[in-house]
Amino acid sequence: MEEPAVQMQGVSHRYGTEPVLREINLTIEHGEIFGFLGHNGAGKTTAINILTTLLVPSAGKARVCGHDVVTARSKVTERIGYLPSDVRLYDHMTATENLEFFAKLSGVSDPRKAATETLAYLDSSDLGPRRMSTFSTGMRQRIGIAQAIVHQPSVLFLDEPTSGLDPSGVRQLRETILRLNGELGMTVFMNTHLLSEVSRVCTTIGVLNHGELIYKDSMAATTERFPDEASLEDIYERMEGRPA
Amino acid sequence: MTGAIAAQLVLSLRRQRTFLALLVTLLVMTALAGVIGWISHRTIIKVYDEAVTLLATTGTPAPPNPFDTKPTLALLSNMVIYIPLIGALMALVLGHLSMADDQSSGIGRLIFSRQVTRRSYVTGKMLGATTVLAIIMAASLLVSAVSLLIVNGALLSAPDLTRLVVFYLLSLLYLMAFALVGMVSVLLTRRRSMALLLALGVWLVLTFALPQFTSGLRPTASLNPITDPVSTSQTFFDVTAKARPISVSEQYKEASTRVLEIGTPESALATSWRVAPIGGLVLILAALTALLVRRHDYSRSSVNE
Repeated sequence: MEEPAVQMQGVSHRYGTEPVLREINLTIEHGEIFGFLGHNGAGKTTAINILTTLLVPSAGKARVCGHDVVTARSKVTERIGYLPSDVRLYDHMTATENLEFFAKLSGVSDPRKAATETLAYLDSSDLGPRRMSTFSTGMRQRIGIAQAIVHQPSVLFLDEPTSGLDPSGVRQLRETILRLNGELGMTVFMNTHLLSEVSRVCTTIGVLNHGELIYKDSMAATTERFPDEASLEDIYERMEGRPA
Repeated sequence: MTGAIAAQLVLSLRRQRTFLALLVTLLVMTALAGVIGWISHRTIIKVYDEAVTLLATTGTPAPPNPFDTKPTLALLSNMVIYIPLIGALMALVLGHLSMADDQSSGIGRLIFSRQVTRRSYVTGKMLGATTVLAIIMAASLLVSAVSLLIVNGALLSAPDLTRLVVFYLLSLLYLMAFALVGMVSVLLTRRRSMALLLALGVWLVLTFALPQFTSGLRPTASLNPITDPVSTSQTFFDVTAKARPISVSEQYKEASTRVLEIGTPESALATSWRVAPIGGLVLILAALTALLVRRHDYSRSSVNE
């Protein structure tokens, strides 16, 4: 039986004495698009930092594709792609050079080919020879996605991917996520504030409130469970205990 | 991974304007060092010739020409000043730039979410910095050799060429210390501007304050016909003189002048001992850089979430 794409068992984390995550238990199967919702400071980015091996959890176990993020770091990093909220690559290098660099760091055998093919897949070949310093936020985001998938990972972690994007950029990003999931079979784990995007893209959602996972279910089950709520915003506010 | 990180650093530095401006300045000053040496040489010879003519009219025998025994590489004596001034500043900027983007732009998060270990990362950065500095020193050596060829009208002899190579190897070691200072300062501070200020502070101390403290105070006082302003006692200078070996810039200058045959001759072993503190400083800074990278939290910019 295939191991889940993401599994967190009793994961807690604290910065100093401040608890940020409290005993998170979460399982995400392969092929899902998971939307992780929560207010600022809820612990969403900390969860991604743990799953991308950047942070060691204070307690609990986290696995990606069956591999422990602490004891089998190398196997985890082989299988994941990561796009942080504020995408900054090397400004003095072109988009292609940046992608080649990150492909090399992922152990891709032909980095140039991988960079070219990834840009073509994202309809961004025209950006390849240009330096990153000349790019708009939307262009940077496209190259950011490209660096995250240049080594064809199984699980893609996106941290607030829509921040700073205009409506057209948000739409493009939504289409890209659906393509990556549908055509390449990537599991997507997405932290976001944009509830409208979650309802359009995600198959499953989880809600984090002050470090605690207070809700997790499929999108279909969520709308079924809250039939009286007009929108996902209303559902979200009810989950957090605020009047809708 | 190490090679990829080193190659990225070389590629990125090639396009950084601040770094390139300092590099061009160093190479121009290298060429000028030969020219300035030659002009000084010519002026003194001219004065000597005029003195000989004047002495001949009075029937006084002329003293021997002091420049007859002057070594060829003495024309490059200014390089011993330019390397600690411009070269060290350039190395500092190199070290700063090599780490700053990864830290302030959050690229470190992307790097360490890949199959990159802290060890391979820091090794790659050091390898890249050493490669860039070695290329610059090789270019500087070439410029020096060509300027000496033009000035002297003859190729450098094998022993002189060897001395020149040793001088630039020594300079590479010295500059590596400043590149590491640039790296360490980035790892110790959160803001790029603070990191650069800290590195510049260290450069000022190593290049100006420490040499003044360990060797400059007394000679300056003794050269001027004034009462010693610091102390009338020997004790102060005895103490500062004890600290002289730790003044790496002073040790670099002393060792370089011996290598270029400008200073008072001394044994190769004595010159090697002068290099030891520089090597020691490089090793300490390299170990500190590795330790700081190992402990650094590259997810830190997201701490609030």
